[in-house]
Amino acid sequence: MTIAEDPATTSPGYKWVGTRMIRPDGFEKVTGRARFGADIKLNGMLYGHVLRSPHAHATIVSIDTSEAEKMAGVRAVITGADFPDPSGPAGDQDLQRNVIAREKALYEGHTIAAVAAQTRAQAKAAAEAIKVVYEVLPHVMSVDEAMAPGAPLLHPKLMTKGVDPAPTEPSNVASRAVYQGGDLDLGFAESDVVVEGTFTTKPVHQGYIEPHAAVADTTPNGRTTLWCSSQGHFTMRSLSAKVLGWEPSKLKVIPAEIGGGFGGKTTIYLEPLAVRLSQKAGRPVKLVMSRDEVFRATGPASGTKIVGKLGFKNDGTMVAGELWMAYEAGAFAGSPAGAGSMTALAPYTVPNFLIEGFDVVVNKPKVAAYRAPGAPMSSFAVESLIDEAAKKLGIDPIDIRLKNAVTEGCTATYGPKFPRIGFVETLEAIKNHPNYQIPLGPNQGRGVASGFWFNAGLNSSATVHVNEDGNVIVVTGSPDIGGSRASMALMAAEEFGIDAARIQPVVGDTESVGYNDQTGGSRTTLATGAAVIEACRKVIADLRGRAAKQWDVALEKVEWVDGQAQHVEGTQPPLSLADLARGWNRTGGPLTASAALNARGVGSAFSTQVVDLEIDPDTGHVTVLRYLTAQDAGRAIHPSYVEGQLQGGVVQGIGWALNEEYIFDRNGKMENPGFLDYRIPVASDMPMIDTIVVEVPNPGHPYGVRGVGEVGIVPPLAAVANAVDDAVSRRIRDLPLSPVRILDAILNKDS
Amino acid sequence: MKYFAPSTVEEAAGLLAQPNTKVFAGATDVIPQIRAGRPEPDALVDLKKIDRLVSVQRTDATWVIGAATPTTRLTGNAELVAEFPGLVEAAGLIGSDQVQSRSSLGGNLCNASPAADSVPAMVINSARAVIATANGGTRTVAVEDVPVGPGRTTLAPGEFVVEIEIDRPPARTGDAYLRLTPRTEMDIAVVGAGVRVTLDESGTVTDARVALGAVAPTVVRVTAAEAALIGSKLDDVALAAAAAAASAACNPIDDKRGTIAYRTHVAGVLTRRAAVIAGQRAAEKNGASR
Amino acid sequence: MAHVHFSAGLRSGFTGGVAELVVEAATVGALIRALDERFPGIGEKLSSGTSVAIDGEIIPDAEFESLSATAEVHFLETIGGG
Repeated sequence: MTIAEDPATTSPGYKWVGTRMIRPDGFEKVTGRARFGADIKLNGMLYGHVLRSPHAHATIVSIDTSEAEKMAGVRAVITGADFPDPSGPAGDQDLQRNVIAREKALYEGHTIAAVAAQTRAQAKAAAEAIKVVYEVLPHVMSVDEAMAPGAPLLHPKLMTKGVDPAPTEPSNVASRAVYQGGDLDLGFAESDVVVEGTFTTKPVHQGYIEPHAAVADTTPNGRTTLWCSSQGHFTMRSLSAKVLGWEPSKLKVIPAEIGGGFGGKTTIYLEPLAVRLSQKAGRPVKLVMSRDEVFRATGPASGTKIVGKLGFKNDGTMVAGELWMAYEAGAFAGSPAGAGSMTALAPYTVPNFLIEGFDVVVNKPKVAAYRAPGAPMSSFAVESLIDEAAKKLGIDPIDIRLKNAVTEGCTATYGPKFPRIGFVETLEAIKNHPNYQIPLGPNQGRGVASGFWFNAGLNSSATVHVNEDGNVIVVTGSPDIGGSRASMALMAAEEFGIDAARIQPVVGDTESVGYNDQTGGSRTTLATGAAVIEACRKVIADLRGRAAKQWDVALEKVEWVDGQAQHVEGTQPPLSLADLARGWNRTGGPLTASAALNARGVGSAFSTQVVDLEIDPDTGHVTVLRYLTAQDAGRAIHPSYVEGQLQGGVVQGIGWALNEEYIFDRNGKMENPGFLDYRIPVASDMPMIDTIVVEVPNPGHPYGVRGVGEVGIVPPLAAVANAVDDAVSRRIRDLPLSPVRILDAILNKDS
Repeated sequence: MKYFAPSTVEEAAGLLAQPNTKVFAGATDVIPQIRAGRPEPDALVDLKKIDRLVSVQRTDATWVIGAATPTTRLTGNAELVAEFPGLVEAAGLIGSDQVQSRSSLGGNLCNASPAADSVPAMVINSARAVIATANGGTRTVAVEDVPVGPGRTTLAPGEFVVEIEIDRPPARTGDAYLRLTPRTEMDIAVVGAGVRVTLDESGTVTDARVALGAVAPTVVRVTAAEAALIGSKLDDVALAAAAAAASAACNPIDDKRGTIAYRTHVAGVLTRRAAVIAGQRAAEKNGASR
Repeated sequence: MAHVHFSAGLRSGFTGGVAELVVEAATVGALIRALDERFPGIGEKLSSGTSVAIDGEIIPDAEFESLSATAEVHFLETIGGG
């Protein structure tokens, strides 16, 4: 990996930030000691099994649990009747209905009931003995089917928001987002070249290796402890409380180690079920999903249909852009059509545009977040069309993007002006890299694409303690899914001026640290990092005060340098953290401070990528030869983990582009709920993903951090499709680009 | 579910004669199937403690491979690799390195997946399955006579495959197996093609065997492709004819892994490529192999 | 004072086509109340499911955020991350 410094800033000469310490959780993870959600064992624990709908769309006429309740080992059976009636805002009600069905089953895999018993086998047998009477309804499995006149409706009261005039009849379209600027007709009239096409993508799963798991233990006074691996245990607490009808404070949530999330573990599935079963049984209950359940019953990314049209002048200036986009939300409203609409043309200055994004319900699992939700799909269309225009105009694909690239002060298509950003730097980093000049052989192609993501700030809290021995504990509430404990340790080490090995970063439960929003949205290093830094600075101010007291001097005479309090005139020997900790009862008590914030100064992220691939023209098989990604990360706190985020997003994007898709049969049942036929890439499929971290520091963060986790997944879909076109001269607009699809395109040129 | 680990073929036959018992060798299909919800058998009978089932022997004329021998012992056997590179590479494509420390030829054959990789490679080498019968004896059949459809075999209740016998090849014989999978590992063949040829001193094909996997409910032997290769020097015309014959012999389905059109086309492509590799390997084996 | 820009969705749904407006308001909350007086119903839309961008920085939960004399304000849909 190379780090290209922004020439406008000087190197800050950090001692710890920017180094590659071994992650604190590493030893436990590689020796199998780390405790994930499914590893939790409690005395008297029962095992749960979920009964799921076999139908894609059905009214639930009746559920008879009487047989199941009598079976051997069974201690509790629950259905929707065991939960409060759905109430609150529409989104909350949808969540309640997704966790366990009420009136209808809305997708194959929808939770209908759950059983807790002494063994898994007993729970499963009992679940299968629950008698459910369904009235099967016709189902819709695509935006075309769902939006067709007369389509069967999932929700009889769903009226499309964002359409003027408001509709009088319900439909399967939950909402419409629209972004518009300039004069579209004028823009296309002015264009020398117009490119257009219809693009489709399929639902894909985040592909985390660890299935969902939760253990709940309710005591007779009603307080419940919940262990789960998630991207945010405070979020699990508040969402579970909504479904259970509780105050969040009744729940204590303890985070387990997590084996991947990528957005898919930012919501709840098993947690309220485990809690209610535990309440009814009076014993702890563990629920663990099988891989099959993860596919059928968690939250993939939306499938989409996008009609796009771009207009350019002969010199490559983009003058017009029009996108009609429909995103599958799954069974309940809430696809990222809005975000996809905002990001689609965000990297470019285009004066005339109209972007519409429709959120459409279909009888598939409710979608959940997946790295930069909404952006990869709309970028697939836009970046493919830019490539087509570049080829028609004979302009290099990077040059055409440079011609239109947004910079500081440009107005984004979604409204505000951009602050300091690093998009141009990523384009130039790719253009100037030797990979871009490597000559290609027969059946080989090169594809370029760029992408944008907002990144988030949100709420974080942190507490910092100095121990009697002068070592430091840093407690946050951000589950560690990408090496954030290491980053917190490095930032704290930099603040204190001590060896990072003396910092112990801990993820505290919901009673041990202040509120933390989820780990996701590329926010943790920025926001939780900012809270950690602020807490460290409070402690350091306190330490200076303790030294001042000991030396009986004014505070201004004390500075904190390299891990110790020093007298500015050198008239006292310095005091280390350990020295000051030893004397803390004489100078004011223990050394600890907390900080909490709703983070500001969020820096957005851009990525530009280039892929070289080779296609076997007789089988359509794709081999990825080389992949290079350049991303503006602001400042890489821990370069290996920044690199890992860049590479991870790219590999997921490649899988999305080449082979991953949810396949459903005519009955709306998923045909490939396992990794054999849901083809995420394996390690041997990938070359080393080369990364360039462009450090354009974010002025809003003490160390210049920009979130890095998400934007990397945005460009690969189009980069791969553009490379396929370069290799075999076939523009394919439907994902995935499986060997079957590519060979069909090669052999059937005119269809 | 009970577990038994007999140490003789007779003991195993007695246990497997009971109803609802299943052979447990590498279990690289059995365990995932049970986890996926297939009905659990009453008993698993582990064959790996029976020496004959896990040994690899070679006489002057024949290789005898225990049906439960883990593939890693085949890929690690330099002599076997030298004589049957195609067979070993086929077994070596299944799953991954970890899977191959358990998977076996017997298991691959008797699981009877249409996409089994080692089956076309065994068929082109005229492999035979030695089957323990319920009455304590054995019977021997060509391997292609074992599977009859997806997941179904001609084995009677209580029968199991003890060994795979393969006669040592004549001089100037080479085999090859190729398959199409979207990923490089941990995948299942969309199409598989095995070809074996024997050449005379002038490089003319005197014998050929062609078998396809994953294009029909069971392995397909393509005698028309064999005829197209015999008497040729594996020139373009012969190869094209063999490829066309392979495509014509396919009876595939449209499923989540591939379309009829795709499988048909690629069967021809892989047959041609496998024939070329088999021919190169045959030409390199100039001396007698015994 | 705030120079408010309305997205296409807000223009067609609430402001009857008005794209920009200069409004006297010291905080975002006061701004939303002032806009709701002028365009009834827009207040509820802007208070939930919307983030605010002030001078290019996206700020969720901005009700008490103060506005400078020259603040450029955009209302945006709330975006989820993954």
